[in-house]
Amino acid sequence: MQKSTIQFLLINCFLAIVLISCGSVTKNFTPKKLDKTFYTVPYFADSKTDYVYKTNISVYGNEISGIFIAKKINDTTHRIVFTTEFGNKLMDFEISDNEFKVNSIVSELDRKILINTLKEDFRLLLKKEYLIQEQFENESADIYKSADGKRDNYIFISKKDQKLEKILLSSKTKEKFTLLFNSENNIFAEKIQIIHQNIKLKIELNYFKSE
Amino acid sequence: MKTKIALLILFISGSMFAQEQKMTAAEIAQFKEDVNVVAKKIKTLSTDFVQYKHLDFLSKDIETSGKMIFKEPALLQWQYKKPYHYSITFKNGKILINDEGKKSAVDIGNSKIFARINKLIVGSVSGNMFDDKEFTISYFKLKGQNLAKFIPKDAMLKKYIKQIELTFDKEEATVVQVKLLESSEDYTRIVLKNKVINAKIDDSVFTN
Repeated sequence: MQKSTIQFLLINCFLAIVLISCGSVTKNFTPKKLDKTFYTVPYFADSKTDYVYKTNISVYGNEISGIFIAKKINDTTHRIVFTTEFGNKLMDFEISDNEFKVNSIVSELDRKILINTLKEDFRLLLKKEYLIQEQFENESADIYKSADGKRDNYIFISKKDQKLEKILLSSKTKEKFTLLFNSENNIFAEKIQIIHQNIKLKIELNYFKSE
Repeated sequence: MKTKIALLILFISGSMFAQEQKMTAAEIAQFKEDVNVVAKKIKTLSTDFVQYKHLDFLSKDIETSGKMIFKEPALLQWQYKKPYHYSITFKNGKILINDEGKKSAVDIGNSKIFARINKLIVGSVSGNMFDDKEFTISYFKLKGQNLAKFIPKDAMLKKYIKQIELTFDKEEATVVQVKLLESSEDYTRIVLKNKVINAKIDDSVFTN
Protein backbone atom coordinates (compact mmCIF):
# COMPACT_ATOMS: atom_id res chain seq x y z
CA MET A 1 0.00 0.00 0.00
CA GLN A 2 2.70 2.41 1.02
CA LYS A 3 4.78 1.38 -1.96
CA SER A 4 2.01 2.14 -4.39
CA THR A 5 1.41 5.51 -2.74
CA ILE A 6 5.03 6.43 -3.28
CA GLN A 7 4.80 5.22 -6.84
CA PHE A 8 1.65 7.23 -7.32
CA LEU A 9 3.33 10.33 -5.93
CA LEU A 10 6.36 9.79 -8.09
CA ILE A 11 4.27 9.42 -11.22
CA ASN A 12 2.30 12.48 -10.26
CA CYS A 13 5.46 14.48 -9.69
CA PHE A 14 6.85 13.26 -13.01
CA LEU A 15 3.64 14.18 -14.81
CA ALA A 16 3.62 17.56 -13.16
CA ILE A 17 7.18 18.24 -14.33
CA VAL A 18 6.34 17.14 -17.87
CA LEU A 19 3.23 19.24 -17.90
CA ILE A 20 5.06 22.28 -16.58
CA SER A 21 7.83 21.97 -19.15
CA CYS A 22 5.31 21.24 -21.88
CA GLY A 23 3.46 24.34 -20.98
CA SER A 24 6.54 26.54 -20.80
CA VAL A 25 5.72 28.37 -24.02
CA THR A 26 2.19 29.14 -22.89
CA LYS A 27 2.81 29.46 -19.16
CA ASN A 28 2.31 33.20 -19.17
CA PHE A 29 -0.69 33.04 -21.45
CA THR A 30 -4.31 32.93 -20.34
CA PRO A 31 -6.53 30.53 -22.32
CA LYS A 32 -9.39 32.16 -24.12
CA LYS A 33 -12.42 31.04 -26.11
CA LEU A 34 -11.61 30.52 -29.80
CA ASP A 35 -12.82 33.48 -31.88
CA LYS A 36 -11.61 32.19 -35.28
CA THR A 37 -10.55 28.91 -36.85
CA PHE A 38 -8.01 30.25 -39.31
CA TYR A 39 -5.78 33.27 -39.71
CA THR A 40 -4.57 34.78 -43.00
CA VAL A 41 -1.24 36.61 -42.88
CA PRO A 42 -1.43 40.01 -44.60
CA TYR A 43 2.29 40.33 -45.43
CA PHE A 44 3.95 39.10 -48.67
CA ALA A 45 0.51 38.40 -50.08
CA ASP A 46 0.37 40.69 -53.12
CA SER A 47 1.64 39.14 -56.37
CA LYS A 48 2.15 42.60 -57.91
CA THR A 49 4.54 43.82 -55.23
CA ASP A 50 8.31 43.33 -55.29
CA TYR A 51 9.24 42.91 -51.64
CA VAL A 52 12.77 44.34 -51.40
CA TYR A 53 14.64 44.61 -48.09
CA LYS A 54 18.11 45.60 -46.99
CA THR A 55 19.28 42.63 -44.98
CA ASN A 56 21.70 42.04 -42.15
CA ILE A 57 22.44 38.50 -41.10
CA SER A 58 24.39 37.87 -37.96
CA VAL A 59 25.50 34.28 -37.60
CA TYR A 60 27.81 33.18 -34.77
CA GLY A 61 29.38 36.62 -34.58
CA ASN A 62 29.81 37.02 -38.34
CA GLU A 63 27.94 39.75 -40.17
CA ILE A 64 26.66 39.37 -43.71
CA SER A 65 24.67 42.07 -45.44
CA GLY A 66 22.87 42.28 -48.72
CA ILE A 67 19.49 42.60 -50.35
CA PHE A 68 16.56 40.26 -49.75
CA ILE A 69 13.94 40.04 -52.45
CA ALA A 70 10.67 38.12 -52.27
CA LYS A 71 7.96 37.91 -54.87
CA LYS A 72 4.78 35.89 -54.98
CA ILE A 73 5.01 34.12 -58.34
CA ASN A 74 1.78 32.11 -58.15
CA ASP A 75 -0.97 31.16 -55.66
CA THR A 76 1.24 28.87 -53.62
CA THR A 77 4.82 29.86 -54.33
CA HIS A 78 7.25 32.68 -53.55
CA ARG A 79 10.58 33.30 -55.25
CA ILE A 80 13.32 34.44 -52.89
CA VAL A 81 16.62 35.94 -53.94
CA PHE A 82 19.47 37.21 -51.76
CA THR A 83 22.09 39.40 -53.43
CA THR A 84 25.07 41.47 -52.31
CA GLU A 85 24.79 45.28 -52.38
CA PHE A 86 26.58 45.12 -55.74
CA GLY A 87 23.81 42.94 -57.07
CA ASN A 88 25.57 39.58 -57.27
CA LYS A 89 23.10 36.83 -56.64
CA LEU A 90 24.04 34.65 -53.67
CA MET A 91 20.92 32.50 -53.35
CA ASP A 92 17.81 31.94 -55.37
CA PHE A 93 14.99 29.76 -53.96
CA GLU A 94 11.40 28.90 -54.75
CA ILE A 95 9.33 28.04 -51.72
CA SER A 96 5.76 26.98 -50.91
CA ASP A 97 4.10 25.09 -48.03
CA ASN A 98 5.16 21.74 -49.47
CA GLU A 99 7.79 22.44 -52.10
CA PHE A 100 11.28 23.85 -51.98
CA LYS A 101 13.60 24.38 -54.92
CA VAL A 102 17.12 25.82 -55.02
CA ASN A 103 17.49 27.64 -58.34
CA SER A 104 21.05 28.66 -57.54
CA ILE A 105 23.41 29.19 -54.63
CA VAL A 106 27.07 30.26 -54.59
CA SER A 107 29.38 27.42 -53.56
CA GLU A 108 30.54 29.28 -50.41
CA LEU A 109 26.98 29.14 -49.00
CA ASP A 110 26.05 25.74 -50.35
CA ARG A 111 25.77 23.99 -46.98
CA LYS A 112 22.89 21.70 -46.15
CA ILE A 113 22.48 22.97 -42.60
CA LEU A 114 22.31 26.59 -43.75
CA ILE A 115 19.87 25.86 -46.57
CA ASN A 116 17.61 23.83 -44.28
CA THR A 117 17.60 26.57 -41.65
CA LEU A 118 16.77 29.27 -44.18
CA LYS A 119 14.12 27.04 -45.73
CA GLU A 120 12.39 26.74 -42.36
CA ASP A 121 12.73 30.47 -41.66
CA PHE A 122 11.45 31.62 -45.03
CA ARG A 123 8.65 29.08 -45.15
CA LEU A 124 7.25 30.47 -41.92
CA LEU A 125 7.90 34.04 -43.04
CA LEU A 126 5.89 33.51 -46.24
CA LYS A 127 3.21 31.17 -44.90
CA LYS A 128 -0.17 32.49 -45.81
CA GLU A 129 -2.73 30.66 -43.73
CA TYR A 130 -2.81 29.08 -40.32
CA LEU A 131 -5.48 26.76 -38.96
CA ILE A 132 -6.16 27.68 -35.35
CA GLN A 133 -6.73 25.10 -32.62
CA GLU A 134 -6.35 27.09 -29.44
CA GLN A 135 -6.42 30.67 -28.35
CA PHE A 136 -4.73 32.56 -25.53
CA GLU A 137 -4.03 36.10 -24.51
CA ASN A 138 -1.50 38.07 -22.57
CA GLU A 139 -1.49 41.74 -21.60
CA SER A 140 -0.84 43.08 -25.08
CA ALA A 141 -1.83 40.42 -27.60
CA ASP A 142 -4.30 37.78 -28.66
CA ILE A 143 -2.37 34.58 -29.27
CA TYR A 144 -3.44 31.86 -31.67
CA LYS A 145 -1.95 28.40 -31.62
CA SER A 146 -1.63 26.49 -34.87
CA ALA A 147 -0.24 22.94 -35.10
CA ASP A 148 2.58 22.53 -37.59
CA GLY A 149 3.57 18.86 -37.77
CA LYS A 150 5.34 18.01 -34.53
CA ARG A 151 5.60 21.69 -33.74
CA ASP A 152 3.33 24.58 -32.98
CA ASN A 153 3.14 28.10 -34.29
CA TYR A 154 1.95 30.89 -32.05
CA ILE A 155 0.59 33.97 -33.79
CA PHE A 156 0.51 37.21 -31.82
CA ILE A 157 -2.00 39.87 -32.82
CA SER A 158 -1.68 43.12 -30.93
CA LYS A 159 -4.75 44.08 -28.92
CA LYS A 160 -4.10 47.77 -29.50
CA ASP A 161 -4.36 47.85 -33.30
CA GLN A 162 -4.99 44.27 -34.41
CA LYS A 163 -1.64 44.00 -36.21
CA LEU A 164 0.33 40.80 -36.66
CA GLU A 165 3.42 41.49 -34.58
CA LYS A 166 4.99 38.12 -33.87
CA ILE A 167 5.03 34.48 -34.93
CA LEU A 168 6.74 31.96 -32.73
CA LEU A 169 7.73 28.45 -33.82
CA SER A 170 8.04 26.09 -30.93
CA SER A 171 8.53 22.39 -30.27
CA LYS A 172 6.39 20.89 -27.51
CA THR A 173 8.84 22.17 -24.92
CA LYS A 174 11.15 24.75 -26.46
CA GLU A 175 10.99 27.91 -28.52
CA LYS A 176 12.88 27.46 -31.81
CA PHE A 177 12.66 30.82 -33.50
CA THR A 178 10.63 33.99 -33.61
CA LEU A 179 9.53 36.35 -36.35
CA LEU A 180 8.95 39.95 -35.29
CA PHE A 181 7.09 42.37 -37.54
CA ASN A 182 6.80 46.15 -37.60
CA SER A 183 4.08 47.39 -39.87
CA GLU A 184 2.40 50.75 -40.37
CA ASN A 185 -0.69 49.54 -42.16
CA ASN A 186 -0.85 45.79 -41.39
CA ILE A 187 -0.50 45.05 -45.12
CA PHE A 188 3.18 45.63 -45.51
CA ALA A 189 5.89 44.95 -42.93
CA GLU A 190 8.62 47.61 -42.99
CA LYS A 191 10.86 45.79 -40.58
CA ILE A 192 11.15 42.08 -39.91
CA GLN A 193 13.44 40.23 -37.53
CA ILE A 194 14.02 36.49 -37.54
CA ILE A 195 15.57 35.49 -34.24
CA HIS A 196 16.68 31.96 -33.43
CA GLN A 197 16.58 30.80 -29.83
CA ASN A 198 18.68 27.63 -30.20
CA ILE A 199 21.41 28.82 -32.60
CA LYS A 200 23.16 32.18 -32.83
CA LEU A 201 21.39 33.39 -35.93
CA LYS A 202 19.54 36.64 -36.44
CA ILE A 203 18.22 37.99 -39.71
CA GLU A 204 17.01 41.58 -39.93
CA LEU A 205 15.10 42.90 -42.92
CA ASN A 206 14.49 46.60 -43.49
CA TYR A 207 12.25 47.59 -46.37
CA PHE A 208 13.67 50.10 -48.79
CA LYS A 209 11.93 52.09 -51.42
CA SER A 210 13.61 52.20 -54.81
CA GLU A 211 13.65 55.79 -55.99
CA MET B 1 -1.72 44.07 -96.52
CA LYS B 2 0.33 41.04 -95.56
CA THR B 3 3.32 42.27 -97.55
CA LYS B 4 2.99 45.66 -95.90
CA ILE B 5 3.17 44.07 -92.45
CA ALA B 6 6.05 41.86 -93.54
CA LEU B 7 7.89 44.92 -94.85
CA LEU B 8 7.17 46.81 -91.67
CA ILE B 9 8.50 43.95 -89.55
CA LEU B 10 11.56 43.73 -91.78
CA PHE B 11 12.08 47.46 -91.46
CA ILE B 12 11.75 47.44 -87.67
CA SER B 13 13.96 44.40 -87.17
CA GLY B 14 16.42 45.77 -89.72
CA SER B 15 16.78 49.01 -87.82
CA MET B 16 17.05 47.10 -84.55
CA PHE B 17 19.97 45.11 -85.86
CA ALA B 18 21.51 48.29 -87.19
CA GLN B 19 21.75 49.63 -83.63
CA GLU B 20 24.49 47.18 -82.73
CA GLN B 21 27.00 46.80 -85.52
CA LYS B 22 30.24 44.86 -85.36
CA MET B 23 33.47 46.91 -85.62
CA THR B 24 36.04 46.21 -88.29
CA ALA B 25 39.59 45.29 -87.27
CA ALA B 26 40.78 48.82 -88.01
CA GLU B 27 37.95 50.30 -85.94
CA ILE B 28 38.78 48.01 -83.04
CA ALA B 29 42.44 49.07 -83.10
CA GLN B 30 41.47 52.76 -83.19
CA PHE B 31 38.89 52.36 -80.42
CA LYS B 32 41.32 50.53 -78.10
CA GLU B 33 43.96 53.15 -78.78
CA ASP B 34 41.53 55.99 -77.91
CA VAL B 35 40.41 54.32 -74.68
CA ASN B 36 43.96 53.48 -73.60
CA VAL B 37 45.16 57.04 -74.15
CA VAL B 38 42.38 58.40 -71.92
CA ALA B 39 42.69 55.61 -69.31
CA LYS B 40 46.44 56.18 -68.99
CA LYS B 41 45.85 59.81 -68.08
CA ILE B 42 43.48 58.91 -65.24
CA LYS B 43 45.14 59.48 -61.86
CA THR B 44 41.91 59.99 -59.96
CA LEU B 45 38.31 59.56 -60.93
CA SER B 46 35.05 60.23 -59.19
CA THR B 47 31.62 59.65 -60.59
CA ASP B 48 27.98 59.41 -59.56
CA PHE B 49 26.29 56.16 -60.38
CA VAL B 50 22.85 54.63 -60.52
CA GLN B 51 22.67 50.86 -60.20
CA TYR B 52 19.74 48.94 -61.64
CA LYS B 53 19.42 45.35 -60.54
CA HIS B 54 17.32 43.49 -63.03
CA LEU B 55 15.78 40.17 -62.06
CA ASP B 56 13.50 38.63 -64.58
CA PHE B 57 10.68 37.84 -62.14
CA LEU B 58 10.45 41.34 -60.62
CA SER B 59 8.08 43.96 -61.95
CA LYS B 60 10.65 46.74 -61.50
CA ASP B 61 14.44 46.99 -61.39
CA ILE B 62 15.89 47.59 -57.92
CA GLU B 63 17.48 51.01 -57.99
CA THR B 64 20.32 52.15 -55.74
CA SER B 65 22.67 55.07 -56.25
CA GLY B 66 25.74 56.81 -54.93
CA LYS B 67 29.28 57.78 -55.74
CA MET B 68 32.42 55.92 -56.83
CA ILE B 69 35.93 57.22 -56.17
CA PHE B 70 39.16 55.82 -57.58
CA LYS B 71 42.76 56.88 -57.02
CA GLU B 72 45.80 55.36 -58.62
CA PRO B 73 47.13 52.75 -58.32
CA ALA B 74 44.48 50.78 -56.44
CA LEU B 75 42.37 52.81 -54.03
CA LEU B 76 38.71 52.31 -54.72
CA GLN B 77 35.50 53.17 -52.93
CA TRP B 78 31.84 52.61 -53.72
CA GLN B 79 29.44 54.67 -51.62
CA TYR B 80 25.77 53.83 -51.80
CA LYS B 81 23.76 56.81 -50.61
CA LYS B 82 20.22 55.91 -51.63
CA PRO B 83 18.10 54.31 -50.35
CA TYR B 84 20.63 53.26 -47.70
CA HIS B 85 24.15 54.25 -46.65
CA TYR B 86 26.68 51.57 -47.40
CA SER B 87 30.27 51.95 -48.49
CA ILE B 88 32.87 49.44 -49.54
CA THR B 89 36.54 50.43 -49.84
CA PHE B 90 39.32 48.44 -51.43
CA LYS B 91 42.63 49.46 -49.89
CA ASN B 92 46.01 47.72 -49.43
CA GLY B 93 44.67 44.19 -49.57
CA LYS B 94 41.74 45.02 -47.29
CA ILE B 95 38.05 45.50 -47.83
CA LEU B 96 36.57 48.10 -45.50
CA ILE B 97 32.83 48.18 -45.08
CA ASN B 98 30.60 50.78 -43.49
CA ASP B 99 27.04 49.54 -43.30
CA GLU B 100 24.83 52.34 -41.93
CA GLY B 101 27.58 53.21 -39.45
CA LYS B 102 28.44 49.61 -38.63
CA LYS B 103 32.10 49.22 -39.58
CA SER B 104 33.96 46.08 -40.50
CA ALA B 105 37.12 45.05 -42.31
CA VAL B 106 38.04 41.94 -44.22
CA ASP B 107 41.66 41.08 -44.85
CA ILE B 108 41.85 39.73 -48.35
CA GLY B 109 45.66 39.59 -48.31
CA ASN B 110 46.85 37.95 -51.44
CA SER B 111 43.47 36.55 -52.43
CA LYS B 112 43.74 36.15 -56.18
CA ILE B 113 40.04 36.30 -56.80
CA PHE B 114 39.73 39.66 -55.01
CA ALA B 115 42.79 41.04 -56.77
CA ARG B 116 41.02 40.08 -59.96
CA ILE B 117 37.73 41.65 -58.92
CA ASN B 118 39.54 44.84 -57.91
CA LYS B 119 41.31 44.99 -61.26
CA LEU B 120 38.04 44.28 -62.97
CA ILE B 121 36.17 47.11 -61.23
CA VAL B 122 38.94 49.63 -61.85
CA GLY B 123 39.23 48.36 -65.41
CA SER B 124 35.52 48.64 -66.06
CA VAL B 125 35.33 52.20 -64.83
CA SER B 126 38.47 53.42 -66.59
CA GLY B 127 37.72 51.23 -69.59
CA ASN B 128 41.20 49.75 -69.69
CA MET B 129 40.56 46.04 -69.55
CA PHE B 130 41.25 44.82 -73.06
CA ASP B 131 43.08 41.74 -71.88
CA ASP B 132 42.68 38.96 -74.42
CA LYS B 133 44.24 36.45 -72.02
CA GLU B 134 41.44 37.04 -69.46
CA PHE B 135 38.49 37.61 -71.78
CA THR B 136 37.04 36.80 -75.13
CA ILE B 137 36.22 40.31 -76.34
CA SER B 138 33.89 41.49 -79.06
CA TYR B 139 33.39 45.08 -80.25
CA PHE B 140 30.32 46.90 -81.52
CA LYS B 141 29.29 50.35 -82.71
CA LEU B 142 26.15 52.08 -81.48
CA LYS B 143 24.76 55.51 -82.14
CA GLY B 144 27.29 57.91 -80.55
CA GLN B 145 28.66 55.05 -78.45
CA ASN B 146 30.93 52.04 -78.60
CA LEU B 147 30.27 48.75 -76.90
CA ALA B 148 32.73 46.09 -75.78
CA LYS B 149 31.58 42.68 -74.53
CA PHE B 150 33.88 40.65 -72.32
CA ILE B 151 33.38 36.95 -71.63
CA PRO B 152 35.65 35.70 -68.82
CA LYS B 153 37.91 32.79 -69.72
CA ASP B 154 38.57 31.85 -66.10
CA ALA B 155 36.11 29.21 -64.88
CA MET B 156 36.08 30.64 -61.34
CA LEU B 157 35.18 34.14 -62.52
CA LYS B 158 32.69 32.78 -65.01
CA LYS B 159 30.70 31.23 -62.16
CA TYR B 160 29.87 34.74 -60.93
CA ILE B 161 29.83 36.76 -64.11
CA LYS B 162 28.76 35.40 -67.45
CA GLN B 163 29.56 38.55 -69.38
CA ILE B 164 30.58 42.17 -68.83
CA GLU B 165 29.45 44.86 -71.22
CA LEU B 166 31.09 48.29 -71.22
CA THR B 167 29.46 51.11 -73.11
CA PHE B 168 31.74 54.03 -74.03
CA ASP B 169 30.98 57.56 -75.05
CA LYS B 170 32.43 57.80 -78.56
CA GLU B 171 33.83 61.31 -78.19
CA GLU B 172 35.33 61.07 -74.71
CA ALA B 173 36.33 57.39 -74.92
CA THR B 174 35.23 56.87 -71.31
CA VAL B 175 32.82 54.34 -69.82
CA VAL B 176 29.22 55.49 -69.40
CA GLN B 177 27.62 52.17 -68.51
CA VAL B 178 28.71 48.87 -66.99
CA LYS B 179 26.49 45.84 -67.37
CA LEU B 180 27.25 42.65 -65.46
CA LEU B 181 25.30 39.67 -66.73
CA GLU B 182 24.73 36.75 -64.39
CA SER B 183 22.53 34.84 -66.79
CA SER B 184 20.54 35.77 -69.84
CA GLU B 185 17.69 37.06 -67.68
CA ASP B 186 19.45 38.60 -64.69
CA TYR B 187 21.93 41.44 -64.74
CA THR B 188 23.21 44.52 -62.93
CA ARG B 189 23.38 47.72 -64.95
CA ILE B 190 25.41 50.63 -63.60
CA VAL B 191 25.08 54.02 -65.26
CA LEU B 192 27.95 56.45 -64.60
CA LYS B 193 27.42 60.18 -64.78
CA ASN B 194 28.97 63.49 -63.67
CA LYS B 195 32.42 62.01 -64.07
CA VAL B 196 35.35 64.09 -62.78
CA ILE B 197 38.83 63.08 -63.87
CA ASN B 198 42.04 64.00 -62.04
CA ALA B 199 40.58 66.21 -59.34
CA LYS B 200 42.63 66.17 -56.14
CA ILE B 201 41.46 63.31 -53.90
CA ASP B 202 43.03 62.80 -50.50
CA ASP B 203 44.00 59.29 -49.38
CA SER B 204 42.01 59.84 -46.18
CA VAL B 205 38.81 59.53 -48.20
CA PHE B 206 39.49 55.82 -48.51
CA THR B 207 38.42 54.72 -45.08
CA ASN B 208 35.26 53.38 -43.51
